[in-house]
Amino acid sequence: MARLAPCGRRLLAIAQRLLAIAQRLLTVLLLLFIVLRVLPADPAAPAAEIGATRQQTSLDEALPMQFAIWLGWLVQGDLGHSSHLDRPVAGLLAEALPATVELAILASSVAVLLGVAGGLVLFALQWGGWQGAGGRGTGGRGTGRRGETRAALAETGTMLLMSIPAFLWALLFILVFGVLLAAMPFTGRLDPGLSRPFITGFLLLDTLLVGDPRAFLSAARHMVLPAVALGIGFAPLVMRVLRASLIEAYQADYILQARLRGLSEEQVLLRHALGHAALPTLGLLRAQCGLLLGAAVLVEVIFAYPGMGRLLVDAMRNTDLSVIQGVVLAYCAVVLSANVLIDGLHLLLNPRPRAR
Amino acid sequence: MTVLRWLRSGRVLAGLLAVALVLALAVLAPAIAPHDPEAQDLTMTLQPAHLGSAYPLGTDALGRCVLSRLLFGARLALSVAIPGALGAMLLGAALAYAAGYLGGRTDRLIGRAVDAVTLFPPLILILILVFALGAGPTNLVLAIVLVDWTRFCRVLRHEVRVVVQRDHVAAARLLGFSHIRTLAIEVVPATLPLLVTLLALEMGIAVVVEAIVSFLGLGVQPDQAAWGQMIADGRTALHQAPANLLAPAAAILVTVAGFNLLGDGLGRKLAARLVEDRA
Repeated sequence: MARLAPCGRRLLAIAQRLLAIAQRLLTVLLLLFIVLRVLPADPAAPAAEIGATRQQTSLDEALPMQFAIWLGWLVQGDLGHSSHLDRPVAGLLAEALPATVELAILASSVAVLLGVAGGLVLFALQWGGWQGAGGRGTGGRGTGRRGETRAALAETGTMLLMSIPAFLWALLFILVFGVLLAAMPFTGRLDPGLSRPFITGFLLLDTLLVGDPRAFLSAARHMVLPAVALGIGFAPLVMRVLRASLIEAYQADYILQARLRGLSEEQVLLRHALGHAALPTLGLLRAQCGLLLGAAVLVEVIFAYPGMGRLLVDAMRNTDLSVIQGVVLAYCAVVLSANVLIDGLHLLLNPRPRAR
Repeated sequence: MTVLRWLRSGRVLAGLLAVALVLALAVLAPAIAPHDPEAQDLTMTLQPAHLGSAYPLGTDALGRCVLSRLLFGARLALSVAIPGALGAMLLGAALAYAAGYLGGRTDRLIGRAVDAVTLFPPLILILILVFALGAGPTNLVLAIVLVDWTRFCRVLRHEVRVVVQRDHVAAARLLGFSHIRTLAIEVVPATLPLLVTLLALEMGIAVVVEAIVSFLGLGVQPDQAAWGQMIADGRTALHQAPANLLAPAAAILVTVAGFNLLGDGLGRKLAARLVEDRA
């Protein structure tokens, strides 16, 4: 019985969160409506030759009524119809959304992997190995002037790396690995001649599900350059967060206690210090999610990758209003889901709010 | 004083030099550019870079001088980045001071506005704002302001909350200072270093945004010289004239790295000063 009480409280907390999510979704819809329907002088003007557009998009009604009608359609799952591609927007999104999410997940993994590796190197450089790390209270015995200079150099280096926007990485990779070395494919998602299975929309998963190893390998090779180009710019951020939380961890009592228990330095690092960095890294991913998706737009365009970014840019060039609305809404839904997912993970990993 | 101390940091100095260089080239562009950036010479298309020639960095597919377009591109980049970042700072800071100082309902309302805007990926919101408002540098600046004020507001509000709790603010109120005067004399100066850091970083961000928007051909007129547009065009002629792509890419790197070094260096000096103050 005593165990049920916190469970009920958690259900209540979840209900509250769901309500807050609904509220935020409504704000997003309103903002999107204002930007796309109220700001432009006449939203249907460029598409005026298509006579049905005005009627179809209810542009003759008063603005609040238009908003209500639009909401009604959305609730029914009707995202509208692309005037340029002559296809339902929902169908376009069913293909583009998983592609972008796939790219974003792979890029985040690249960022975390590179960032953790880089952060460990940076930390080791500064402290001259793990043994010296975290001399308590004195700011660390291990830090010498040399360690500090090395750390400062390494940090300025990462700072400069951070100044390279994702689309320049993309162009650089195409130039080096695609054109000069001709080692990697850099357009589309599959080699020509391979058929594209469609089950979940996540190509890597789908090729595995239908049991086509050649298609899987081809899809994986096509993902390498876009994912690394997108992820590499975010790695230095992970690196900094990791380094800061390692420094904090090595000042804490539990590291001393672990050392007193006779654990090796590797065990101390893997079992205790690295775990301390998990929560801040999650927080970083949550905060950077929108930036990552934004940077992905140009990466998708450059690699001719059929995701939401390319869909959006094409729709803007063709003033295809329904597609723009649908895609931007999908972007917000991705950010919102990522936020909710990461908050959930946070709650699972972090014992503090649970104890309350 | 403080400014002189900041200059002793290598990062700040390097950043400042890079930014000053780009700024000087941008301001002097009409005087030092060898050609009209929009003038086409169709007999001289895709010339490779050759330092002694009439076109030191070569020409693009329409026979336009790459060096001149690079210089005028700097003009466009900074004329978007500087007002965009300043505007975002003014709007964000004003709301952050209001939220952090007044607290309560104002704080909640502004917090909700920040939340709503940050649910959009920033670049996506900028793109659709430019789409809705129409192309052109002024609208791009407006879009950057309307989206990126949240970056300032979020960070600064937190700082203002901390400063407001301090004794000297309470003392000012007890002395009978008005709210405005308390804010101006006790709160704003304490947050100024943070604001300067954020401003420098935001200028770097705005340079990249301008490049992305003009790369996509959504931001400016097709004739106007812009780094992003030069990169997009340069991709197609990589073998004949690599400078078409490399020169604007390098220009973006130098400018963004300059702003980032400046912001990061100032931030570090600020952190160090806070530690000194506490000791």
